[in-house]
Amino acid sequence: MTDTADTDTVQGDEPVTMMEYFMSLRYSDVVSPPVMRFRDALLEGRLIAQQCPICKLVYVPPKGYCPIDTIELDERNEIQLADRGTVTNFTVVTPVQYYGQKETEPFVRASILLDPPGGMLILQDVVDVPIDEVRPGMRVEAVWAPKDERDVDEIGNRSGSALDGSLRGFRPTGEPDTPADAFSDKVW
Amino acid sequence: MQCVLLGVVTELRATTHTIEFPYTRTLGPVIGPFLTGLRDRRILGIRAGDRVLVPPLEYDPENGNSLEPDFVEVGPAGTVTSWAWISKPTRKHPLDRPFAFALIKLDGADTALVHAVDTGSMDAVHTGLRVTARWRDERKGRIDDIECFVPEGDGT
Repeated sequence: MTDTADTDTVQGDEPVTMMEYFMSLRYSDVVSPPVMRFRDALLEGRLIAQQCPICKLVYVPPKGYCPIDTIELDERNEIQLADRGTVTNFTVVTPVQYYGQKETEPFVRASILLDPPGGMLILQDVVDVPIDEVRPGMRVEAVWAPKDERDVDEIGNRSGSALDGSLRGFRPTGEPDTPADAFSDKVW
Repeated sequence: MQCVLLGVVTELRATTHTIEFPYTRTLGPVIGPFLTGLRDRRILGIRAGDRVLVPPLEYDPENGNSLEPDFVEVGPAGTVTSWAWISKPTRKHPLDRPFAFALIKLDGADTALVHAVDTGSMDAVHTGLRVTARWRDERKGRIDDIECFVPEGDGT
């Protein structure tokens, strides 16, 4: 019943006890109009958001609606944000070399409250400063990628604050720290 | 594709994201020997009372009792008991051309195994069709060590 052909290249002769299973999910999204405008603004070196006229919350990237007041937001609600703000809190990630991990050295992911009217960017890189000097209250500004190197192709409706195709990260401005009271209700 | 929003024409674009998870799974006392058998060009069933279950299970589906690891070689030929034609295979399918997913009761087995059957056309597949395993030359201890089943006489 069993006849092994000469061409066979069988993987070892030990019992098979494990199996590799590679799961891959491919999503394709049509980018919503407000996110398209957000992408276009990034290419120009601008951060735009939508502000709810009722609760005044600032959504960056713009969502097209306020989930709290359940109203639609459109271009009339769009505002330009400052590209500087304050680190409210941060994590130092020590990378484990799992599949897909590109980082090899410890790095910072910080939440940054942009200057008024506000807007919170999460998971931002903080650059040009030793990790152990990063602190809540530190004033930072965006480091934009050169205009011809900006890439927004990966920004979709669920990309959140992933701006690394346009921003190199945020660097300290050297201004005095923002007092904690000014952002303690906005720590993410 | 275009969308008119508040009188402003915005060209819509799509983004594609791929999420990948590489898993390594333990196989246990029954699927392990089953896949070891496939690597060695043997299809193993497990005895459950008077029956032979293929693919083998750790438990008797009739009563939930644990089964002893009592394996028996079956096939590699068998009979199609049911099938569905896949006219437009996706990148996830085992073959890149139209094929049938079929339940195949291998010779010596009492239950049927799901696998791909390559007949070339839907007209050539039918319940009762006799098929046999086409083995891959390079086998790794996976269900697709059997590339597919083909009608008997088509050569393996």
